[in-house]
Amino acid sequence: MNGDYSKFLQTFFEEVTEHLSVLESGLLTLEQNPNDVEVLNRIFRSVHTIKGAGPMFGFTTMSRFAHEVETVLDPLRNRKFSATREIIDLLLESADCLKMLVEAAKNGTVIDENKTMLDLEARLETCLIIPAPAPDQKATSGPPSTAPTAPAPVTSVHRTYQISWIPGEDLFQRGLNPLKLFEEMGRMGTVRSCVLSASRLPDLTELDPQRCYLSWTCTLETDYPREDIESVFEFAATPGGLTITSLPSSSAAAQPTQEPDPQLAHSVIDEEDDPRLAEVFFGQRSDSLGVILVEQRAVTPAQLVKALDRQETLRAKAKEQKVEASMRVDTEKVDKLVNLVGELAITQSMLSALGGRFEIEHLPILQERLLQLERNTREIQERVMGIRMLPISTAFSRFPRLVRDLSAKMKKKIQLVISGEETELDKTVIEAIGDPLTHLLRNACDHALEPPEERVVAGKPEQGTIRLNAFHEGGKICITVEDDGRGLNRDKILAKAIKQRIITGNDILSDDQVWALIFRPGFTTAEELTDVSGRGVGMDIVKRNVEELGGLVSIKTVTGRGTTFTLSLPLTLAIIEGMTIRVGQDKYIVPLLSILESIQPKADMVKTLIGKGEGVNIRGVFYPIVRLHEVFDLQPEHKNPEEAILLVLEVEGERVVVMVDEILGQQQVVIKSIEENFRKVDGVAGATILGDGTVGLILDVRGLMKLARQEQSIAV
Amino acid sequence: MATAAAGTTQESGQQGIEAEDNQFLTFCLRDELYGIDIHRVKEIKGYSAITKIPNMPSHIKGVLNLRGTIVPIVELRTAFGMPTIDYTAFTVIILVIVRDRTLGLVVDSVSDVVHMGQKDIQASPDFGTKVDVKFLSGIGKSGDKLVALLNIDQLLTEGYMQEAAAATA
Repeated sequence: MNGDYSKFLQTFFEEVTEHLSVLESGLLTLEQNPNDVEVLNRIFRSVHTIKGAGPMFGFTTMSRFAHEVETVLDPLRNRKFSATREIIDLLLESADCLKMLVEAAKNGTVIDENKTMLDLEARLETCLIIPAPAPDQKATSGPPSTAPTAPAPVTSVHRTYQISWIPGEDLFQRGLNPLKLFEEMGRMGTVRSCVLSASRLPDLTELDPQRCYLSWTCTLETDYPREDIESVFEFAATPGGLTITSLPSSSAAAQPTQEPDPQLAHSVIDEEDDPRLAEVFFGQRSDSLGVILVEQRAVTPAQLVKALDRQETLRAKAKEQKVEASMRVDTEKVDKLVNLVGELAITQSMLSALGGRFEIEHLPILQERLLQLERNTREIQERVMGIRMLPISTAFSRFPRLVRDLSAKMKKKIQLVISGEETELDKTVIEAIGDPLTHLLRNACDHALEPPEERVVAGKPEQGTIRLNAFHEGGKICITVEDDGRGLNRDKILAKAIKQRIITGNDILSDDQVWALIFRPGFTTAEELTDVSGRGVGMDIVKRNVEELGGLVSIKTVTGRGTTFTLSLPLTLAIIEGMTIRVGQDKYIVPLLSILESIQPKADMVKTLIGKGEGVNIRGVFYPIVRLHEVFDLQPEHKNPEEAILLVLEVEGERVVVMVDEILGQQQVVIKSIEENFRKVDGVAGATILGDGTVGLILDVRGLMKLARQEQSIAV
Repeated sequence: MATAAAGTTQESGQQGIEAEDNQFLTFCLRDELYGIDIHRVKEIKGYSAITKIPNMPSHIKGVLNLRGTIVPIVELRTAFGMPTIDYTAFTVIILVIVRDRTLGLVVDSVSDVVHMGQKDIQASPDFGTKVDVKFLSGIGKSGDKLVALLNIDQLLTEGYMQEAAAATA
């Protein structure tokens, strides 16, 4: 039954993920309208479903936690309490924790008693005891009473104590129950851990049931002063049997940061109950965790390697799972497709009938039916592509939360305005575009947008705005990230680039070329690292990811006013618009996106400059000419640029002119992989099947430029 | 025809000979007979237009469209250092499976599928054939003919991969 089970399991995860996203977006909506009963009901139902479905698959921890969340949501939706900002924050944290539990369940990692989860559970339990935001009362010391009125600690100024208690053997005879003492401790704060020691337990034959042989070591996080804790044990502790030491505090309920993943870190440090690690981890350094740990001598390099390996395996597993996903498709799309296939079947049988008794005078009818066939096939192709298209809102959905968290973290006021979320694009592109967009948004929040005071001084509204927009244009999809922040500073960028030796002081660069510098790996003008950005890693990854999708990134900026990043992507990955060109007898395909223009030069436009080789002067700018036949070792028809065609290509802001014999035409081209059976070829991006059944190679412009440069350096 | 009981130990320790099932597809290059383990042969196809790939060593002719998949084609004559000839009506492309990949080999013509027992196969001495001995997994006898048995994995990974790597270095 294993196969069936795993199918249900997959469906379960898909649905849970949907419910989680309903929960999160519902909570964000709730923030704006805390009394929206409709939303409250919606998120309650989602959590309820997760709670109910979990145990069916054995995910009891997930379910238990969901139950806690549900317990808070119920009174909210019944209007017994109203949702304050603190409660919503807590619920959002809980949603993150649920997400983490689901991930763990997916990966098969067992999470029993996770610290974050336990802490959240405790907070969830106490958050509704006082309807108003919990006051910052100093906990009054006094004899431990039995009424549970201890305010839930909202501030993160906890103290953590390690309490080691060895009761006297006559504990029971004095009428004391250890359980009651623990409950008392629990009411004073959060018991983070409790370890039993049964070392004094004698043999069963010698055991006196009326004597207490057990001892405990607990860690307690509490606002109460030490004396209060001691007073809990007033009657119970024998001299020397109670030791209370205070530990450096770890901030409660570590916010799930984007990186490093708390769960992964726990896989390294959970076993070592070392408080230094907790501080280091939850602190604000942005070095890679491994470096810090080794530096602090908290782990040995060998342990680090082991943990990193595990991290890799977990990542690989996560990636694998992403790939085998299924998708939801609009029934209308499927219905249309079914109709089209029906029409195709009809056309096919008409053709068969004709072919069966073909006479030459039937030729016009044959041609007409073939035309019909072509129409059918083209429409089916488009529709099938359409099935893989999803609205981009699925990629955008996580951004409101991201911007909200970032703006809170950086103490800036930022609002995110999203438009065009119905725009559809290929599922694979949507999945791949998430990371680059996240980087861009983080950069906008971190670097581009100024803190409120600065904005006011500059005459801008206190609240910064980021506009995220998606639309179709010219057979491509464009996504723009626009902010009204500082804009790019040309001088600063140049200075940094010179300092990092990316360019020399003598190079003259156009504005576009200067902006393009920020995409260099390692480049950053950030004065300091924050843990959000500044390492100079984000932008080059953005560019690389976008280009891997066959798209382009461009920048428009006005210093002081703001910046707009535009990503333009093909609608689908597998098909590109290509221009077929010929060199001698060989045909190649050039991606249309890279072609700026094509010209047939006049004799006086072509010059050879010393040190720069052969080039062409186009409207005052000199471009080096790359003879495709030289780079690819082909036999050209024309060796003279004036008789040939020059294609002006652009990639990465760099332009190059490629000489070919003839342009044959433009066509949509289905990309086929060469690497599947062969290997990556320099200068070739992929292959396709041409109309005559032969293979056509698609040029990789960037690779071509690299090859051309190599050729030139060899020749010179 | 000794097959079954012949276990897995082999005299010559060369890879590529299946102990259980010694069936080989034989083909001709020039006047010499070569053989490939039948299990590696995916398909035999008539010659059709091959698209050249730029900057490849000469024995890699290019790629071919095999029902929608791009398959690289190796000219065996060139790979073995023999002069090339014009293609005839008998020229075929043998599609073989190396690791998980499909590759095509251009050969002069194909011959029969022959069975060879363990005792018919010997280690390849260094003689006669122009082929580098490391690409042979043995010399077999079929009837009165000698068949040079190719070690496909060796040939197509070490051979052309290395050269290809060197060519683009």
